[in-house]
Amino acid sequence: MLKNRPTLRYILHRGGWYLVTFLVAVTINFFLPRLGAANPVDIIMGKVSSGLSTEAAKEKEESYLKEFGLVKVDGSGNIMRQADGKPLRASNLEQFGNYLKMCLRGDLGTSFQKYPKKVMDVIVEAVPWTIALQLPTILFGWIVGNVLGALAAYRRGVFDRIFFPAALLISSLPFFVFGMLLVYYFSVVLGWFPAMGGYAGDLIPSFSLTFFGSAAYHYVLPFFSIFLILAGGQAIGMRSMGIYELGTDYIKYAKWLGLKEPKILAYLFRNAMLPQLTGLALSLGSMIGGALITEMIFSYPGLGMAMLTAIQNNDYPMIQGCTLLVTISVLIANFTVDIMIGFLDPRVKAGLQMGGN
Amino acid sequence: MRGIKKSAIGMALVLVTSVALLSGCNDKKDDQSQGESGFPRGKTLYLGGSQWGDPSSFNPLQDWPAWPVNDKFNLMYEPLLAYNTQSGQFEPILAKLVSQSTDSVVVVLNPAAKWSDGQPVTSADVKFIFELGKRFKSAPTAYALDFISEIKVATVDQNGAKAEQLTFVVNKAGRNNPLVIMDLLQGIRIIPSHVFEAKLAAFKDSSEPLSAVQKLKLDSVPVVSGPYTLSTYSNEKIVLKRRDDYWGNAALYGGKLPTPEFIIHPIFKSNDHFALALQKGELDASQTFIPRIWLKSADGVHTWYAKEPYYIPGAVPMLFINNTKAPLNDKNFRRAMAFALDYKAIKDLAVSGYSPDIKPGIIMPVGPEAKYYSEEDSKQYGASFNIDAAKKLLADGGYKSIFKADGSLDSVVDAKGKKVPTLYIKCPAGWSDWEAIVKIAVKGLRNAGIDVREGFVDASLYWQALPTGDWDLILHKPASSVTPSLPWSRFEAVMSSRNWSKIGDKMNENQGRYNNPKAKDYNPKVDSLIKVIPTISDEAAKAKAYRELNILFMQDQPTLPLCYLPEQFYEYSDKHWTGWPNETNAFAPPQLPWVGAGIKTLWQLKPVK
Repeated sequence: MLKNRPTLRYILHRGGWYLVTFLVAVTINFFLPRLGAANPVDIIMGKVSSGLSTEAAKEKEESYLKEFGLVKVDGSGNIMRQADGKPLRASNLEQFGNYLKMCLRGDLGTSFQKYPKKVMDVIVEAVPWTIALQLPTILFGWIVGNVLGALAAYRRGVFDRIFFPAALLISSLPFFVFGMLLVYYFSVVLGWFPAMGGYAGDLIPSFSLTFFGSAAYHYVLPFFSIFLILAGGQAIGMRSMGIYELGTDYIKYAKWLGLKEPKILAYLFRNAMLPQLTGLALSLGSMIGGALITEMIFSYPGLGMAMLTAIQNNDYPMIQGCTLLVTISVLIANFTVDIMIGFLDPRVKAGLQMGGN
Repeated sequence: MRGIKKSAIGMALVLVTSVALLSGCNDKKDDQSQGESGFPRGKTLYLGGSQWGDPSSFNPLQDWPAWPVNDKFNLMYEPLLAYNTQSGQFEPILAKLVSQSTDSVVVVLNPAAKWSDGQPVTSADVKFIFELGKRFKSAPTAYALDFISEIKVATVDQNGAKAEQLTFVVNKAGRNNPLVIMDLLQGIRIIPSHVFEAKLAAFKDSSEPLSAVQKLKLDSVPVVSGPYTLSTYSNEKIVLKRRDDYWGNAALYGGKLPTPEFIIHPIFKSNDHFALALQKGELDASQTFIPRIWLKSADGVHTWYAKEPYYIPGAVPMLFINNTKAPLNDKNFRRAMAFALDYKAIKDLAVSGYSPDIKPGIIMPVGPEAKYYSEEDSKQYGASFNIDAAKKLLADGGYKSIFKADGSLDSVVDAKGKKVPTLYIKCPAGWSDWEAIVKIAVKGLRNAGIDVREGFVDASLYWQALPTGDWDLILHKPASSVTPSLPWSRFEAVMSSRNWSKIGDKMNENQGRYNNPKAKDYNPKVDSLIKVIPTISDEAAKAKAYRELNILFMQDQPTLPLCYLPEQFYEYSDKHWTGWPNETNAFAPPQLPWVGAGIKTLWQLKPVK
């Protein structure tokens, strides 16, 4: 039935594969943190057991194991025990079953480390900051980088000779070095911009002009710390793609035909852009994971730090919640690119029409 | 060509204007925010270092609620007494200390004490939290029952007013330890029983009412007895507002209000941010480990002492030794290690000189515990940095260290000619001051011919390993909070085999498994001294017992103390607030203004403008 509808067939086929990928990813996300030797309750005990005697610490540990569903519990709510009196641990498979049941109910669980805060609450509070920081930086960085890269490829000459090494230098600077340099120069030395935080120290987030103004002011340094490096990297990629495309027959032909420069540049840009577009989609997909380094340097709110501490503390529900979010957004981004490339890339389009997949 | 140029210039223009707009409009907004935010700088105190990560709960029954409900912070919920870490005295808060003996501790509740909802603070509130463990085994204060068998209530006449007198009876059948009762009286914060009983009753059908109540965040209009209450919070800061009707203003502070109307605790992601904020005057005080603090004094950042050691020490980080594993089970080998450590280098290089020189043994020669310290014993029994002495002890034990041509250690063989395996010091990776301590220790030990290496591991693995004893050596700070029971609690944490369990099982004290009660060489003297010291009331006899115990420590060297570290301390900036206590103006102990007796600082601070 779908034979006559190659595009729909293509989308469904791709979609099926993405569903399989999603299930595999969720399973791996669940089991991977549990493979290590460290146990989340031991880490919590490290912080609450100071000053407690051995018996009191044991008592407390068991109440956490039970609270977090890491031990088996009998009908009347008591911990089931092994012959030597140690609590009987719930197996990973049992936990996985519980996890899937909860996921289907839309419940991501309660964070161990931020107990009794819900994982969903942590994500809802952090994601707006992450998107606000990442989306514009990635988009602007991509656009500016690609335009400059295409220009450099096309014009070469002095512009390229200055631009290319500069872009190379900037894009090879590690984020943290560049971020720290920005803080040192623009905040500590010049005092133009605040060194840390997402908004002023005397504000509480609200829908007010004051708050948004302050947030924008605090946005400047973190924005540039990512934007410039990203743009530099994109420009280098676009430049080499552009130079490659310049050597192709169609550009030479267009030049012989005497087409106007912007027109040629537009052709060039469109073709050189394809791999860049894939890169853009991937970075948009993974942006939800947060800009960890930027968050750390600027003490900026976001999901990156939440995820790092979750991983450091084996906070299973938090890791699962974050990775689920990242998985979904990466898959959606990839799916979108797949579909877009299908429409944009004449080669893929031709393949589709000839009945390929 | 011109088209491209135009678009490039256009792009640049857009960029420049957008930046200008961003910064321009922000400058304006920032000025406004001073007036609009409701937290004027002259009325707001910014304090830091006590809250990491998102505040997730303000429930005092939770194990780790957010600042200031966590730990021993007295701003919202108050304890009966405040401990002054400098004088060793107990200062009144909700109650006044009347007497302490080996049988009981007696306090009288302040009849003026009131909750923020107008109800009086009564013995019912005290009994509620101290005896919660009777009703719920997993209550955070359940361990108090091991120490207190009964709380007797009587009514007495207090300057003409009726007041409740509480007698905390020492649980002689339990731990029989009046010292720890003092820890509890200044550590456990009293919460309103009428509020929490109602909450528990609401969950009475649940299988675990306490655990259901523990899940409540209690972050709006909490009923508190302290001078401040939660105003608002986000993941980036916690804001407290002064309670102008705080009962203690009249009853304890002569009718004065604490000066700051607001206290804000910003939540940053690393120590560096707290340090930078202090330097810029955005933060007024913080308990943060800042290396080379003397470099910050030009920016108005100060400490208790203006010169080295800057802070007053409170805790002793040590290398805990696995006392069950050869060659570490040989006390001469352990003592050789104690001689091989360059204590001065650890102090100066790893902890920026923030401590007086360390003395052998585990009694500190400063602060309230100094009265139990004996210089004479230290000289006679203690180990200090002396490579030759270390080498001699090793040689006497039959150990032979083989050095390479370049002078570095190759390997060690024991008396039977068998190679001694390399020993690893477990330490959390990334804790920079701890890592530095370990590196210096390794250098010294290797110089003396002991094959030791750094074993930096993920913090999660460190916490997991610590109680199991499954390591060679591990860096650990036992009895880390400064409490009235020091130095007893330090001895208990280091030497007690009361809860002995084998390697692999968990012990929350003596993780190095020193003095196995089932072994032939068990020394019952150690445990009996630890048990008896809290019950000795005669100070001379107590000092004698402490000396004996400290000598046993020095002779057996179950752990390797490395240096002293400040524990309750802070740095302050006088850019916006002055009147901080320090060495020359010691009206309050060097505790943060929300810890113990340090709280009175809040009534003495003066805004700069």
